[in-house]
Amino acid sequence: MDHWILKLGIASLGLVAAFGSPAWASLGGDLASIDADAANLGGTQITRFSPAYMVRQIAGESSLDIHEFSNARGVVFAVSWSGPVFPDLRLLLGSYFSRYTDALATLNHAGLHRSVRIDSPPIVVESSGHLRAYHGLAYLPAELPVGVTASELQ
Amino acid sequence: MSTRGIQGCSSLGLGLGLCVAASLLAACRGGTGTPAVNGAPAPVPNVVMLVVDSGPGVAGGAVNHAYVTVNVCVSGSQTQCANIDHVLLDTGSNGLRLVASVLAAQKIALSPLSDSAGNTLEECMSFVGGQTWGPVALADVHLAGETAAKLPVQVMNDTSSGAPAPATCGANGTLINGVSGFAANGVLGIGVFEQDCGQACVAPATPLPLYFGCTAAGVCAAEKVALTDQVTNPVALFAADNNGVIVTLPNLQSANGDPTVQGTLVFGIATQSDNPLPSSGITVLGTDTAGDFRTAYNGAATGIPGLIDSGTDSYAFSDPTIAVCASGAFVGYYCPAVAPLSLSAVNTGVGANATTSTVDFALADPNSFVAGATAFIDLGGGGGSTTFTWGMPFFYGRAVYVGINQRTAGLYTGPYYAY
Repeated sequence: MDHWILKLGIASLGLVAAFGSPAWASLGGDLASIDADAANLGGTQITRFSPAYMVRQIAGESSLDIHEFSNARGVVFAVSWSGPVFPDLRLLLGSYFSRYTDALATLNHAGLHRSVRIDSPPIVVESSGHLRAYHGLAYLPAELPVGVTASELQ
Repeated sequence: MSTRGIQGCSSLGLGLGLCVAASLLAACRGGTGTPAVNGAPAPVPNVVMLVVDSGPGVAGGAVNHAYVTVNVCVSGSQTQCANIDHVLLDTGSNGLRLVASVLAAQKIALSPLSDSAGNTLEECMSFVGGQTWGPVALADVHLAGETAAKLPVQVMNDTSSGAPAPATCGANGTLINGVSGFAANGVLGIGVFEQDCGQACVAPATPLPLYFGCTAAGVCAAEKVALTDQVTNPVALFAADNNGVIVTLPNLQSANGDPTVQGTLVFGIATQSDNPLPSSGITVLGTDTAGDFRTAYNGAATGIPGLIDSGTDSYAFSDPTIAVCASGAFVGYYCPAVAPLSLSAVNTGVGANATTSTVDFALADPNSFVAGATAFIDLGGGGGSTTFTWGMPFFYGRAVYVGINQRTAGLYTGPYYAY
């Protein structure tokens, strides 16, 4: 249940400056990395809180809709995306990006791979769609708050 | 390089040996053409052969890939042409994309498009498992007797004349530009839209990071692109038979895989005697502006985006209750504990064509598949939980109709998929 909604507007440039160059990290990162993402994506943030986690929605200018979920410890445990173009996963997966690409490279059978599910501990990435409509979710199963399932993180 | 020479077929059939690879266009046009009636143009040959096999020689190992041979000419030329074989048939994208090294081997140099500033127009196209980078160039493309003249195509991985990919291209995984990455010499996107991007790329406040203008120094910036310069579905540019296609593949002989399969790709829907749209017994699923209908899997109350996609090798969807293969040739695909596993999903069209259709399907255990086979019924794969992709197994034993946006065939106007 949402208790309240806070519109933050354009991400704080001050925060980005305080942390130096934008952190190319969100999944597994802290709240500052979300601000960095919003700045890099040219988006606005909307924050909402549920009992188990906080969601920040970054609506980018390229119609990308990105949700970043953080737990009580302030760790971003999941990121979801939806939009007509593919997001920059280096930005959203942060330090887990290379683990993701390594797993992609091991997929059997070459092809377009228009729908993939990568389960490479500690991350899971579900990604599908096509130009005009891509959808995806990346999460850290070990960081999911108690009682929260991946299927509710959209 | 050769003169125009393409494969033709004598009639529409369920992938029987009626199609022959003819070396000359004359083989298609000779003798039996219907004369013009009342000034209407005579029908042109509109059928090309599909083949499911292991893919181009250097790649191999493909499964459930339907390939087409495409005749590509330098725009305006009758002689600077080549037959490019093993181009992947893709009902889930729009536009023709050819691997640069394949064109170069045939000595085909297509003319690149420039933007109004004189910069080269390049594209970073995202498939989900990776992206492909390369310039947009013009080609005259011939398929059976049909011609798409001055067709904007993408030349994938053109490192000779194109700019290097910007840092953000490849950011969804990897660049899959070469023949081995795709197990194909190119991708023939004959989906439900005229252009790959459409209006979203024409006039946004901030250009989508899809098309880029690149300077001679190799500096690229995202930019808006007119519809006429976007990578375009060749069918949409045909003079006739331009309202969609019919993909027909036969049932497989073996539940454990067939070595190869042949089928047909027919251009036009209800435009000639060989491509009727049945008046009954057909399901027409309208799509939204992104190209998806809705699919409700396994009794789900609401549907998620669904599409019928020959570019995907399996039924691709998310079901955490089905085991995933941990070993063998199909790691990551579904390995149901008890096979075949019977499943069901309900497709519902969007917009005017809002039919509902229940599809029963099954998943096999891929570890029972025979080595060396390339066509597999009942292959399933895990995917994103927010798309249901009816991949190649759906096509076996069916005719699938792909209706292009705003083009009409009988009672139906695209975009739609029908079966």
